[in-house]
Amino acid sequence: MADRRRINGPPGATIPPIYEDASDKSVVTRQPPRSRPANAIRQTYLKTGVTPSASGSAYLEVEMAGKPGVSGLKLSCTVHGPRSLPRSSLFSPHIILSTHVKFAPFATKQRRGYLRDPTERDLGSHLEAALRGAIIADRWPKSGVDIIVSIIEGDQDRETSRQQGDEAWDMMNTLSGCITVASAALADAGIDCVDTVAGGVAALVRDDADNGKPKIVIDPVPSEHDKIEAACCVAYLPTRDEITNLWFKGDMPDDDMATYMELVQQGIQASKHANRVLVQCIGETVG
Amino acid sequence: MATTQQVLLSPAELAYLHASLSLTPPIRPDGRAPNLFRPLVAETGILPGTNGSARICFADGTEAIVGVKAEVEKTRGADATEGGEDAEEDNNREGRSEWVELTVEIPGLRDDDSGTAFLSAMLQEALLADGGFARKLWINRRYHWKLYLDILLISPPLSYPLPLLSLTTHLALLATRLPRLKSEGDEDPFFDDDWAAAPYLYPRDKKSSKALARPPVTLLVMAVGRNIIFDPAKEELAVADVALAVSVGEAAETDDDKGKGKGRKLRLLSIRTIDPPSRLTPPGVPNASNAAYGAAGATQKQPEARMAEAEVVEGVWRAPRGGAKPLVMAALVQKALERGGVADEVLDALDGVDLG
Repeated sequence: MADRRRINGPPGATIPPIYEDASDKSVVTRQPPRSRPANAIRQTYLKTGVTPSASGSAYLEVEMAGKPGVSGLKLSCTVHGPRSLPRSSLFSPHIILSTHVKFAPFATKQRRGYLRDPTERDLGSHLEAALRGAIIADRWPKSGVDIIVSIIEGDQDRETSRQQGDEAWDMMNTLSGCITVASAALADAGIDCVDTVAGGVAALVRDDADNGKPKIVIDPVPSEHDKIEAACCVAYLPTRDEITNLWFKGDMPDDDMATYMELVQQGIQASKHANRVLVQCIGETVG
Repeated sequence: MATTQQVLLSPAELAYLHASLSLTPPIRPDGRAPNLFRPLVAETGILPGTNGSARICFADGTEAIVGVKAEVEKTRGADATEGGEDAEEDNNREGRSEWVELTVEIPGLRDDDSGTAFLSAMLQEALLADGGFARKLWINRRYHWKLYLDILLISPPLSYPLPLLSLTTHLALLATRLPRLKSEGDEDPFFDDDWAAAPYLYPRDKKSSKALARPPVTLLVMAVGRNIIFDPAKEELAVADVALAVSVGEAAETDDDKGKGKGRKLRLLSIRTIDPPSRLTPPGVPNASNAAYGAAGATQKQPEARMAEAEVVEGVWRAPRGGAKPLVMAALVQKALERGGVADEVLDALDGVDLG
C-alpha cells in the first residue's frame, strides 16, 4: 500500500541528464583501469558512536576508485534497542530484527524518492539475513531492535557520462558496506553477537587489456572493468568460519564449479579484510 | 516475509522433525525422496487477454497464475537521426534491464512487504542474468517491447512460494508470443495482425515444437545435518540449518557436448540465501533442568531463559545460531547443478506441458 499520509510528487518526475556520446570512441572519458592489486580492498574509514541519541551507531566511508583520498561510498547506521515490543504484538522467544536500508534522495545519479523502493527493501532483507545469523537472538525474548542504514553517498562514478547498467553490480558493494557498518553499530549498542560479521565482494571480470581473459578481483569497481561476468557478496563470521549470507549473480557454466568456489573464497578474503578494519575500530572504542 | 511467519510447531515436534530429516536416508513428513518435487498440475494459455500465461497448482493446495503482457515503447535516449543500415547486426542489439517489469502479489501481505520485494528481485535477477532475455525485446533502434510479468499467488502462502512462482513464470514465458514485425529497419514498428503467425518469445523447433532455449528456473534447496533436501515444505523449512535459492538456466548445447554424459548443460545464474524460519523457533527445555521432572534448584519461573546458554542436549530443540560452513553451501549448489539431477528432472517435466 502506498503512502497516503503525505503528498508526494509524481514518482520519477526528474529525468537524469542524458549526455551525447562522443562520436569518436577514443575520446570517451573512461575510468583508468584498476591500479590496486587484485586481492586488495579500497581504503575504508569506520567510526562508531557518531549518533549520540541512538543506542549504537557507526559511520563508514570507502575511498573512491582511482582517486585516493576522495571518498565514494558513505554510510551511516543507527541501532535503536533492544527495547520491549508493544503490548499488542505476539510473544517472541527471540529478539525481533527490523532492518531498513535507505538511499538518500541525492545519493545516486538518478534521484531516489523518500519512500523505500523495491531495491532498498531487497537490500534490507539481505542485511537482515546477514545479521540474524550473527546475533545471539535468544538472550532478548520479547524485545525488538531497529537497524537503520542510510546511504548518504552511493558508490557511483560521476565522471563517466553514460549509465552503463552497472547499478546492479553497485548494489553488491553497497550491501557489503551495509553489513560491515551495521555490525559495528550492533557492537556499539552492546548487542551480543557470536562474532563480528563483515561483508566482502568478489567478481569475475574480463578486461580487454588482458586479452579478454577472465580473472577474479576483490572489491570490484564496475567502471574500472570492461565486463563483469559474475559477482558474489559474502557475509562471513571469521572465527566460526561460517557464511551468514551469500548473494551470487552472474552467468557461469555448470562444469565450472572450481571458478565458483574460488569466487566465494575470494569473497571471504574481502570480508576478512573488512573485518580487520571493523575489529580495529571497535578496539579503539573499547580501549 | 513468508519465511519468517510464526511456525506453529512445539520444540518437541521440531526436534523430532530435525532428527528424522538428519537420518540417512532422510525421512520427510510427506514421504518424498530428498530430491523429489511435490506433484503439480500445470496448464498454459489460460488468459486470452495476455501474450502468454500459465497456472500451476501444487499438491499441497498452493496455486499461482502468471500473465505476461507486452507493450511497444520508445527507447529512451535513442537518436533517430543516425539511421545507418548497419543496425541489423545482431551484435548491436542491446537490451536494458528496465524493459522488464516483474511484480509479485501474495494474498495477506502488503505489496511493500520486504519479503515480496525479495521474491520479485530474485526472479527478475535470474531472468536478466545472462543479458540475453532483454535482447529478445529489441525491435529496432528506436523501439523495444516492454514486458510486464504479473505473478499472482491465488492460495494463501502455505509454504515458501518461491519454487511455485518460478516454475509458473517459466511456463508463462515459454508460452509467450509477440506479434510478428512487418516493418523494416528503424521505421515506426508495424505488426502483423494474424495472431497465428506470431512467433514465440523463446523460439521453438519446427518439428518437435520443443523450445530451443528456455527461461531459468529457481530451486529451493536446504540442508539439515548432512542431508540435502529439495523443495522443502513449510514444516521442513522450519528446521533447516541453511536454505538457498539457486537459479539455473539452460545453456545452448554445442556439438562437442553431445554424447558427453546424459542431461542438459546448465548454467548457474544466481544464488541467494533464504533466512530460514528455524532461527525464530522456541527452544526446548531438557528434563535435567525442568522442575516438573524433579530437577533440583530449577524453581525459576522460566527455565527456558536459563537454559538458553547451556550446552546442547540431544533430542532437545535449539534454534540454530551462526551461519553455514562455506563447504556446505558449495555442496548445496553443486547438488542443484548436477547433470541429470533435480534441475534436469524439473526441466524435463516442464517440457511435457502442452504449450498450446
